[in-house]
Amino acid sequence: MKQKPLHIHTLSCAEIYTHLCDNLDSKLDSESCRRIKAHIAECKNCTALLDSLKKTVSLYRTYPAPKLPASIKRELFAVLHVEKGKAKRSVRR
Amino acid sequence: MKESPPNDTQLISRIKKGDERAFSALVQRYENTVWGFAFKLCRDKEKAEESFQDTFINVFRKIDQFDGRSKFSTWLYTIVANNCLMNRRRRKLEGLLESYDEPPDVEDEKVQKQLTAWNDTPMEKLLQGELKEKLDEAIQKLPDEYKIIFVLRDLEQKTAEETAEITGLSVPAVKSRLRRSRIFLRQQLHAFMNQ
Repeated sequence: MKQKPLHIHTLSCAEIYTHLCDNLDSKLDSESCRRIKAHIAECKNCTALLDSLKKTVSLYRTYPAPKLPASIKRELFAVLHVEKGKAKRSVRR
Repeated sequence: MKESPPNDTQLISRIKKGDERAFSALVQRYENTVWGFAFKLCRDKEKAEESFQDTFINVFRKIDQFDGRSKFSTWLYTIVANNCLMNRRRRKLEGLLESYDEPPDVEDEKVQKQLTAWNDTPMEKLLQGELKEKLDEAIQKLPDEYKIIFVLRDLEQKTAEETAEITGLSVPAVKSRLRRSRIFLRQQLHAFMNQ
């Protein structure tokens, strides 16, 4: 199998790849975070990947869920009323 | 002085003693949480309605089994997730998602094309049909086991630990599924976002 070239840049991007997906908005100030931030500041590939991952999450967060339909609770309590009836009957037996 | 509303533990204890009003209060407290989570998982109003009903019926039936060792909301999320998983479909795509553990080879020309920056998208454009459709299409392709992790971590903003508790997975498994899900969704949207 052909080996991928493992020069420093590629190896660092590989490390970044794993870490940036774990914590997109990490504000931690550990040594490893500082190294990750320093790499991203210099690397346009990692910057593009990080930005697009953040945008992906942000797009889904902005996607609005429709309002809870008013009828759904009425239906739920009607079903629960039947459930309670069943429970009472089984207790009597 | 106005009396503060009962907390979850107090409400649950009253429900266990047969207090129907306490159950209504619990539904009212969590209806939007359950509805929002169910909709984000199902991406379909009818299925979300079904999941909403099934969840509260399950809560009603199983409330005696809730022992208070976890937060009530964690237990509730588990019930919604299980409802969703009951209809899960195993897909070949799962194997493909595992390939996302491999970092991209940045020297490869095809990978370079994938790493171009996305155009700025104003949020109002999100509400336009085409993008909404793309978002739905992409997330529907995710196997449910992955979708649940993405929704819990990134949309409901639960911690990795809470997500692990809800799904019964380990924290490293949650992290790895989240990574694969995010990269998968990003790949699905890439061409559209680069137009």
